[in-house]
Amino acid sequence: MIEVIVNGKRTAVSSEMNVNELVQELKYTQKGFALALNGTFVSIATYESTVIRDNDSIEILAPVQGG
Amino acid sequence: MSNEQWHIGGKTLKSRLLIGSALYPSPANMEDAIKISKAEIVTVSLRRQAAGEGGGNQFWDIIKSMGIEVLPNTAGSHSAKEAITTAQMAREVFGTNWVKLEVIGDQYNLQPDPFETVKAAEILIKEGFEVFPYTTDDLVVAKRLADVGCKIIMPWGSMIGSGKGLMNPDNLIAIRKQFPDLQLVVDAGIGKPSHATEAMELGYDGVLLNSAIALAQDPVTMADAFRLAVEAGRLGYEAGTMQKREFASPSTPTIGTPFWHQFD
Repeated sequence: MIEVIVNGKRTAVSSEMNVNELVQELKYTQKGFALALNGTFVSIATYESTVIRDNDSIEILAPVQGG
Repeated sequence: MSNEQWHIGGKTLKSRLLIGSALYPSPANMEDAIKISKAEIVTVSLRRQAAGEGGGNQFWDIIKSMGIEVLPNTAGSHSAKEAITTAQMAREVFGTNWVKLEVIGDQYNLQPDPFETVKAAEILIKEGFEVFPYTTDDLVVAKRLADVGCKIIMPWGSMIGSGKGLMNPDNLIAIRKQFPDLQLVVDAGIGKPSHATEAMELGYDGVLLNSAIALAQDPVTMADAFRLAVEAGRLGYEAGTMQKREFASPSTPTIGTPFWHQFD
């Protein structure tokens, strides 16, 4: 098990994995979100090749109202 | 309405009113207000989403169905890095290279951080973004933004959500005079339709507002009022306002004034 921070909350995940696997493990089944790892944008095209490690910080954002 | 079309961010539009999507009493109210405003650009944002949420993102479905230009903001960013990452995420989610660059330097008055804004603008422009930078009415900051390649500058009227109107028209005039070829949009602090008219009369190319419509007693009617206010201000600017005078000058002819010198 490793621990990562997802949207500000400490979350246990099964092991180091790529972003695609993380999104599935966290059950992000909906479409239309974007992801950043340790403050850096991760494009969908690089989900499979980007590895999540212990203590990494992940932001998962989606459209909302804004001014 | 002026027949002149407006070129901004690589698009040709008619409306010079940019509208926000936040703070409305309901999604339906937001939709009605945006429609009646005839705005062709609406601002949106990104926030954290939990797993499984968003299956029925009513707000985003409504915006997509309206077929107007979407301008994602980087609201909540406090550094150039945060703003750049947010912009990159927005580009992927919203499918646009437009970004309203907002990097805040103070949590109380939400004043843009001029240093981080210029830094972020330079990097985002190199990455192919069309940057709409939210800034103060500081002429030198505007110059730095133009120097790094901004074709659009959005000086504040006053603090976001304050409704105080144009705090410093003289500074806005100075920016307009210094950058005749840039697209200038007053963004933030508009409270009443007359504020929008005033901004357009100064020769600004557009006005961006959210709270003034969404927090009005009747947002839909207010959206209509702002549509008219922006049109009136633009027409007034195009017509060329009269010069101010330091003395009175009667409009009625003085020749033939009755009772003149009657008792001399």
